[in-house]
Amino acid sequence: MTDQLIIRDLEVSIGTKKILRGLSLSVGQGEVHALMGPNGSGKTSLAYTLMGHPDYHVDAGEVTWRGESILKMAPDKRARAGMFLAFQYPSAIPGVTVASFLRNIYNAVHHPRNPDEAGEGAIKYTGIPLAKFRRLLEEKMALLSMDPGFSTRYVNDGFSGGEKKRLEMLQMAIMNPTLAILDETDSGLDIDALRQVADGINATLTPEMGVLLITHYQRMLNYIRPDQVHVLLDGRIVMSGGEELSHQLEANGYDWVREQVGVPDGVGDEVAEPAPQPA
Amino acid sequence: MAPVAGALDPAALMEVFGSRPEPDWLRTIRRRTWAGYDATPWPSASEEEWRRTRLDELPRDVPLVSDARAEVSVLDADATGAGVVFADLGDAVRDHPELVQRVLAADAAGPRTHAAFWELSRASWTAGTFLYVPAGVTISLVLRSRTATAGAGAFFPRTIVVAEANSTVTLLDEFSSVDGEPGWFGGTVDIRAGAGARVRYANLQRLGDATWNIGAQRVEVGPDAEVTILNAQVGSLVTKLGMDILMSGRGGTSRLLGILAAGDEQKIDINSLQDLSASNTTSDLLYLSALYDSAHAVFYGSTRVRSEAKQTSSFQECRNLLLSPKAGAEPIPVLEIETNDILRCGHGATAGAIDPVQMFYAQSRGLSHDQAERMIVRGFFERVVAQIGSEAIRAHVLAALEDRIGSAEVVAA
Ligand SMILES: Nc1ncnc2c1ncn2[C@@H]1O[C@H](COP(=O)(O)OP(=O)(O)OP(=O)(O)O)[C@@H](O)[C@H]1O
Ligand SMILES: [Mg+2]
Repeated sequence: MTDQLIIRDLEVSIGTKKILRGLSLSVGQGEVHALMGPNGSGKTSLAYTLMGHPDYHVDAGEVTWRGESILKMAPDKRARAGMFLAFQYPSAIPGVTVASFLRNIYNAVHHPRNPDEAGEGAIKYTGIPLAKFRRLLEEKMALLSMDPGFSTRYVNDGFSGGEKKRLEMLQMAIMNPTLAILDETDSGLDIDALRQVADGINATLTPEMGVLLITHYQRMLNYIRPDQVHVLLDGRIVMSGGEELSHQLEANGYDWVREQVGVPDGVGDEVAEPAPQPA
Repeated sequence: MAPVAGALDPAALMEVFGSRPEPDWLRTIRRRTWAGYDATPWPSASEEEWRRTRLDELPRDVPLVSDARAEVSVLDADATGAGVVFADLGDAVRDHPELVQRVLAADAAGPRTHAAFWELSRASWTAGTFLYVPAGVTISLVLRSRTATAGAGAFFPRTIVVAEANSTVTLLDEFSSVDGEPGWFGGTVDIRAGAGARVRYANLQRLGDATWNIGAQRVEVGPDAEVTILNAQVGSLVTKLGMDILMSGRGGTSRLLGILAAGDEQKIDINSLQDLSASNTTSDLLYLSALYDSAHAVFYGSTRVRSEAKQTSSFQECRNLLLSPKAGAEPIPVLEIETNDILRCGHGATAGAIDPVQMFYAQSRGLSHDQAERMIVRGFFERVVAQIGSEAIRAHVLAALEDRIGSAEVVAA
């Protein structure tokens, strides 16, 4: 299978701090992989590294996507290659409406400007026709049970935690990626919203799409059934299993994992407090 | 070919003006204000507002631009019938001498920081935008005036807007000059909003990249008048603009909006004074600048609430987005409050780069670094753009900004 993400012995540091210490993981086409692990174990760091965040330095290892190494690719190029990251803490872009942002990112991914057209004499580039885009947007917003008024607000500006997560899913639906990395998309959602967002994700998933779903809670996995569950600890995947592993984790916690794999207490989660939730 | 004269050579100047078909009363004003200019010292670096801009390299030996004029949009028959006058200042002198004489006789002093240049413009203007709106008249069309200079030179056009009581008017006033030619632009803007008048004035500055812009603006807001001023600045090599917003009529409201996009080696230095001398007045200022390359902006904003002005509300806010490590901005708010009886008086000022997380977020959606930057900058300006009531003015301002910030492709959807 070529349509898959292969991470081999990945070592990542930020500044002088080593975060990933030889992580290996593969996600095939149409597969859902859940990634769990204590706060500060490096889940978001992995997601950022996969998407090409410039601060996360790859010291060793390889990541290939559809048979090609992606580590030298800029984030926007990875997006155009079909990768998508739903952020744990999405950024606000004040002054840019959801609708115009979505239209821009749709065009960037699906209607990239022909490089020959960049010159002075180029015909004015407009991308997807407005009416067609509006229909697409309405359809995707309905899929995620989103209020239409949402599209005129500024991107994540003053959004509640749950609204931000919904907007991440709307972006995913618009971009229609082949690899989706969802970083705690379930956290911050109320019970009804969790179900709606999960329904939306399921409706967005295609048989071609691979999913890496980062979560702290087994509950999400009732809606989106994983093919495999992995535990990240001490900078590595220390345990992998089927869906039942998420139940074991829920029941026994990460100390149980440490006992099982012989990692001393506290290693891999030295920063145990959760990352601050931005206002 | 119009005669030329060194901009500061009185003999040559008098020759220029002597050859113009001007009435004697105007010649008298020119002589008197020239004397006033002569008696007023140029600003010195010991003045707080002039510490950051030096005039040593101002091209002062260039000839006076005498062949430019303001191209103004045509009024409809209703407006003309109602007594509205909208014309190049020189044409207005010719066609409406009594009115212009009366308006010029009521000239008041300009911003203290630009006192000499204010007098210079009164003495040496060769073009200008003249707009007179009689009491009670509403002009719903957006009026537009364009003043362009073709070559090197010194140019001191005057914009004068007199909006009498309870009148309503919107004016887009555009200035441009060619790149590469050393120029001294000393345009002044004089806005007088009478009681209950509603004035929206947008100044679009696209001066050439070798032009020094030493402009001054004086805005007088009458009782219960509502005035919105927008300065959109994309051009010039050096700008040192002084603005006075005089809240001298009880219950008046002013909004002062600014958009500034600068790059290369541009130096932009603005000083404003929101002078609240009447009770129940409101004056808000919001200036946004995006600075590229080695551009540097200074914003010295004073708010003065005088002891006799009760129950006033004022705010000044200045945000600077630095798009290059070499770009810089200095917002300097100064508040002088002489009374305790105020509703609100405050300021906010920031200068900083784009948040890298925000940049990564946008890039992770497939936008290139440049596309993401353009989008973020365009979004940054939206707080002011959204307040531009006129669709036409918004389009002109955005088109002018595109020269500097690029096409944001942030289309309505
Ligand atoms: N920019 C940074 N500078 C310094 N340390 C960082 C930075 N980003 C992450 N870290 C550290 O790297 C470690 C892994 O953080 P990461 O956000 O990847 O954890 P996580 O598994 O996603 O945690 P959570 O479950 O709380 O979201 C933590 O110790 C964190 O403090
Ligand atoms: Mg995380």
